[in-house]
Amino acid sequence: MALIELHNIYKIYAEGEENEVRALDGVDLTIDRGEFVAIVGTSGSGKSTMMNILGCLDVPTYGDYYLDGISIKERTERELAEIRNFQIGFIFQGYNLIPSLSVWQNVALPMSYQGVRKDEQYDRAMAALEQVEIAEKAENRPNQLSGGQQQRVAIARAIATQSPIIMADEPTGALDTKTGAQVLSILRDLNRAGTTVILITHDNGIAAQARRRVRVQDGKIIEDEILEEVSP
Amino acid sequence: MSAIKLAFDAILEKKGRSFLTMLGIIIGVAAVLILVGLVSGYNADITAYYEKLGVNKITVDITYYDRTNTVDITDDLIAFIGDDLADAVIGITPESTSTGTLKYMANSNSTATVYFGNEQWSACNNYVIDRGRDLLPIDAAQRSRVCVIGTYVAESLFGYINPVGKTITFGGEPFLVVGTYYQKDGTAEDSMDDMIVIPYTHIRALKNTATVTKFTVKVQNADLMETVMAELEYFLGDTLSTNTSSYTLENGNDAMTESDEETASISIVLGGVACIALLVGGIGIMNIMLVTVTERTREIGIKKAIGAQRSVIITQFLVESSVLSAAGGVIGIVIGYAGSLILGKIIYDLILVPDTLVTVGAALFSVVIGVVFGLYPAVKASGLQPVDALRAD
Repeated sequence: MALIELHNIYKIYAEGEENEVRALDGVDLTIDRGEFVAIVGTSGSGKSTMMNILGCLDVPTYGDYYLDGISIKERTERELAEIRNFQIGFIFQGYNLIPSLSVWQNVALPMSYQGVRKDEQYDRAMAALEQVEIAEKAENRPNQLSGGQQQRVAIARAIATQSPIIMADEPTGALDTKTGAQVLSILRDLNRAGTTVILITHDNGIAAQARRRVRVQDGKIIEDEILEEVSP
Repeated sequence: MSAIKLAFDAILEKKGRSFLTMLGIIIGVAAVLILVGLVSGYNADITAYYEKLGVNKITVDITYYDRTNTVDITDDLIAFIGDDLADAVIGITPESTSTGTLKYMANSNSTATVYFGNEQWSACNNYVIDRGRDLLPIDAAQRSRVCVIGTYVAESLFGYINPVGKTITFGGEPFLVVGTYYQKDGTAEDSMDDMIVIPYTHIRALKNTATVTKFTVKVQNADLMETVMAELEYFLGDTLSTNTSSYTLENGNDAMTESDEETASISIVLGGVACIALLVGGIGIMNIMLVTVTERTREIGIKKAIGAQRSVIITQFLVESSVLSAAGGVIGIVIGYAGSLILGKIIYDLILVPDTLVTVGAALFSVVIGVVFGLYPAVKASGLQPVDALRAD
């Protein structure tokens, strides 16, 4: 059974009106466990909308989304929050760290929603920070860190809960080439360790580093190509 | 990262704004405590005044239409009370006053109230003999030239000399001071200590009238007031001719009851004003919390995206508004206590401590306001869609 199945997904804004926008226009997509998929497209192609729907941050106007074989439509708001909490680790372009919390507290935040014990939260947060080599900044505030460092913290937050899926929306968008490459290498390592990684990007060079490339244009998938077979 | 610590962090981060937000609650709570304190001070002041004046007194006032055709009922009235109302009544005395100049050697006092009374006058008016003796029945019967004086008269005429046995003059007539009363009103000019009592039988010589028209009856307790009033009514109706005279009976406790009612209604009005202040304070908190929700839309979006349930967001904002208003309440209580103590000392010369019940009530009410007025912003925040909240800047 596939991890993610999108069946004929539409996301339509202002439907039936003059300014109707079809952000997603009948998308079918299947992603298996352990894949590293790049969803690539230009600005306005619908790739971010796809990520929001895949990440259960938004709901489709029409169509069915099965995560782990269960339809998202049938989930309550509470269950959707649990899915985001336990199943998906998000990495955003704008890092989206909470400025009033220290670095390790930011990383521990999803665990606090899972009801993880306090000392364990700290231990796991520190382990995740070490994995992305930023543990020495654990007590700092996010605004005291550079962009690359903040993105590492965001990655640590996404991996600390050991979610089976990582969704990264333009994770290198605000970074220079070198730091961007480091971030990508972290994602590749995660994927090698078994995590399903979904990467959203407009950059073909970045997309080429994934194992599968899905190109989106005008709300439709126009290309779906395996770049590198998953090694057993 | 408990919700309360988060709330404190958020509040401390914007100290100036948090303080201004709390100001409404601070003023409201302080106002409640100070106003309630001052009303209780006023009440205590009034009660003390009436207690000094004497409670459970009935004033009998007779008006004769023709001053040359009068009947003196003093003896009959005293006899009636002695026979029929002895158990209910503490005393009865003629109650006539005059003013004039009192002199002793070179000293004089022209502010004192001169009472014409009998041996029960002091009991009827709550005076207690200090030095010497009180008036005796024989003083009135023999029209003795004696007097008992209050502490201010003693001080103004005699200084530190013991006045008992000295002779003073009033209206040119000599009176022997036979006793002094204990201080009861601060020994000041025009106070209840600026007084002198002489036997009422001097009324003919000094006031140019043979008839006593005013009496004070002191009743055992408040419950007997109505009974005694009715008996007096019966006696006066029987004794006095309606063709030549009329009379009034005044219940001295009525004035006190009226002032109690007045105090109660002042309390209600002031309490209402203070409640409105608290309510406005609460709306201020709601306003700021709504602004805070807007400002933190992105933060809410992040939290929801990484899995925060609605209840987590609601708790965060509710705790923050409650901590804000509770802190305002605590500051308000401190100011309220200080204000009550200072104003109570200045206005009533009393140590006014706000009522514990009112204090606890104000503290609880301020927390309730935080919860109630924080609820709408909190629910609004928790209802944001993560994708919409993430888009905000």
